[in-house]
Parts: sequence; structure tokens; C-alpha cells
Amino acid sequence: MKRFAKVMFRTSSLLLVLLALQPAIFASVDDAQAFALQAAEPYVKQGFQVREDYWGGDLGSGEKKAVRQQLFKGNEYWFWLGTEVDKAKVSVHVYDSDGKLAEESDGWEKGHFAAAHVIPKATGSYFIIVSVEESPEDRTHWALVYGFR
Amino acid sequence: MIPFTRHVKLSVGVLCGFALCASAAQAPQHINIKQLTTTVEDVVVPLPNEIFGALNKLGSVNWKQHVRSDKGPNFTERPRIALLLGTVIADGFIAVQAEDAPAVKDIGQRVLALAKGIGVGNSITPHAKAIIDAADKRNWDNVRQELDRTQNSVQQAMNEVHDEKLSQLVSLGGWLRGTEVLTSVVKEHFSNDGAELLHQPDLLSYFQTRLQAMPEFNLPIIREIQDALVEVKPLIDVGDRRIPPESVKKVNEITTRLGHGIVTRD
Repeated sequence: MKRFAKVMFRTSSLLLVLLALQPAIFASVDDAQAFALQAAEPYVKQGFQVREDYWGGDLGSGEKKAVRQQLFKGNEYWFWLGTEVDKAKVSVHVYDSDGKLAEESDGWEKGHFAAAHVIPKATGSYFIIVSVEESPEDRTHWALVYGFR
Repeated sequence: MIPFTRHVKLSVGVLCGFALCASAAQAPQHINIKQLTTTVEDVVVPLPNEIFGALNKLGSVNWKQHVRSDKGPNFTERPRIALLLGTVIADGFIAVQAEDAPAVKDIGQRVLALAKGIGVGNSITPHAKAIIDAADKRNWDNVRQELDRTQNSVQQAMNEVHDEKLSQLVSLGGWLRGTEVLTSVVKEHFSNDGAELLHQPDLLSYFQTRLQAMPEFNLPIIREIQDALVEVKPLIDVGDRRIPPESVKKVNEITTRLGHGIVTRD
């Protein structure tokens, strides 16, 4: 009986530890995508079609990633970046193929969400730079979605 | 992937609040693109719809003349089915632009049949149904969203079974059909802004690279597309120069020929 109690205690302790670590263990790019889509949601009402496709990965604090994207003059785009790491700070900015900042001034950053607004002056390739500015985690999942109208 | 509709149900109040109070940190006005060594390899291929939307803003387009909903032949080779599937999804976007509900419904059925032919029918069935329902209600925004979801689900299902190359062929089929229609519209009513929509050299390079990595797909249509992309590249990779009417016409001839090849049995 005493042995059974010990086994039960150890199993429960292990479960508690797992539960405590759950966000770190089970968090994924899909979770980050869920936050990016949350950031996009208000814009759907403004007529933006949000793509199902997305980019994602993980970055350390201070790391950046560049994503190349074809944009068309005449359309208007928003890019939304999200992470599931609550205390992380992320940013997203858009540059044209010459490396010139190409976004409108109404982009925003708020903790684990960020967004950039682009009305392309020319059709062509653009670079979307995503960055994890600060994070309590070693690696922080990120996901970037975009919408257009 | 988590469907977008789930997130629509999430609270928006907080987001509206932070959108108002948040601001972007100062970003550098210039960066050195050549020093960007960490570029994500996979590009998100634009939907035909993105190009059509930009085209629409340049003037009214007679989308009805571009609608195509014929069933076409059935193929057994999976790469051919993948190419055709991408083309048919693009046809769906064209039918939506034309607000042609019967064509959209036919295309929904065709997409489902092709997806089954390639072994990913299960993931498409709900989308095909949603396309048909939305077309019945003439809810075009929903049809567009479902077409995007269809393409995404097909590609996710392919990627899960390590058929990434087939997934890329779906994108390529859609891009070719989109480019065929874009050039057809611009050819008829030429404008510099319309022709500029063809300026997609990096996307073309992306497809070239992907096709080069598919030697196992030794099919005439794949080889034909590879050769054609080499022809198209200098016509659209013009830097800051304008794309002239002759180039638009030439790209249209090439993509029309390829489009015919994709939907026709060898």
C-alpha cells in the first residue's frame, strides 16, 4: 500500500511538472499563427482577405528573419505577426527590393503582436523582416499572415 | 493548420484597444538587402485572386469571357493532376470574378474529383461543399475564402505525406492560369500599370528552381513548362523598365499554349 502511494505521488508530481511546462513543450508555430490571425481579425471587417497560407518558425531574442513576397501595385496589404509567448516583444517591417522602407506609418507593435501596412508603389518583390525583439524563452515561435484588398 | 473561422469567434475588443494605443518602433529607413542571408526559402505564391483584384482596379474587365468550367480529361499521372488542380482552382477565382454561380459549382465538383484522383479528397470534401453552398447564395467573399482554403488544404495534405513537389505543381498550375488570364486582359486593353503586374521575376525563379528539383516527373508537359519559363523570364525581368505590349502578347501566347497542354491529354 505504501509502495502504491509512493508510485501515485511520483506519477502525480510528474504530471504536475508536465502541466507546468505544458506551454513550453506543446507550444508550436500553429499557436503563434492563432495569435497572428487574432491580430488580423478586425481587418476582415474592413474587406481584407486573409490568406490561409502563412510563414512561421522560431527565433531567439534579437534575431531577425526576412521573407520575400510578391506584391502587386493597386492592392493594399497588411502583414500580421504573432507569437504565443506572452511576454515576448515582436516587430514586422516591410522593405522594397532596393532595401527602402516601404510601409505606411500606421503599422503597430504591441507585445506579442505586430503589424505592417503596405500600399505598394510598384509591383515586385518585397522583403518582410520579422524580429523577436525580446523574449523570456530561448526560442520563440512566430507566425506571419497577410491579407489584401 | 487552425481554420481562420475559429479565430473570428475570438474576442476582438482587446485587439481593437491595443490597435489604438500601440505604435510601431522606429524602423531603419534603409537596409542592405544583399546582407539578408536568413531569407525563408519558401515563398507564399500569390493567389490568382490577388492579381485579378489589382487588375480590376485598373478598369472593368469582362471576366465572363475568361470563365472555363468544362470538365476536361481525366489523367492518371499525379503531377498532371496536380497541375490541372491548380489551374481549376484558378478557374474558380475567375468564375467568382465573373459572379458565375453555375460555373463555380461545376468547378467545386471538378476540384473534388481531382483531389480524389490525387489521394487528398477527404480533406477537400467540406471545402467543395462550402464552395457550392456559397455559390448558391452568391456569397462571393465566402467562395473566394473557400477556394483559398481548398488550395491550402490540398497542399497541406500533400505536404503531410511528403508530396511537397506535387503541392508546388498545384501552385504552378494556378500561377500559369492566372498569368494567362492577366496577359489576355492586358493584351486587349494595354496599360503600363496592367503590364507591370507581370513583374514577378522572383516568383518565376522560384518555380524554375522547384521544377529543376523534379527530375522524377519526366513528363512532356513538365519539360515544356521548364522551357517556357526560360522564354518568359527575360520578358518580365525588366528591372525598372516598362514591360511593352509585345512582351505581354508573347507571355500570353506562351501561357495559353501551356494552359492548353495542361488541360489536354498528350
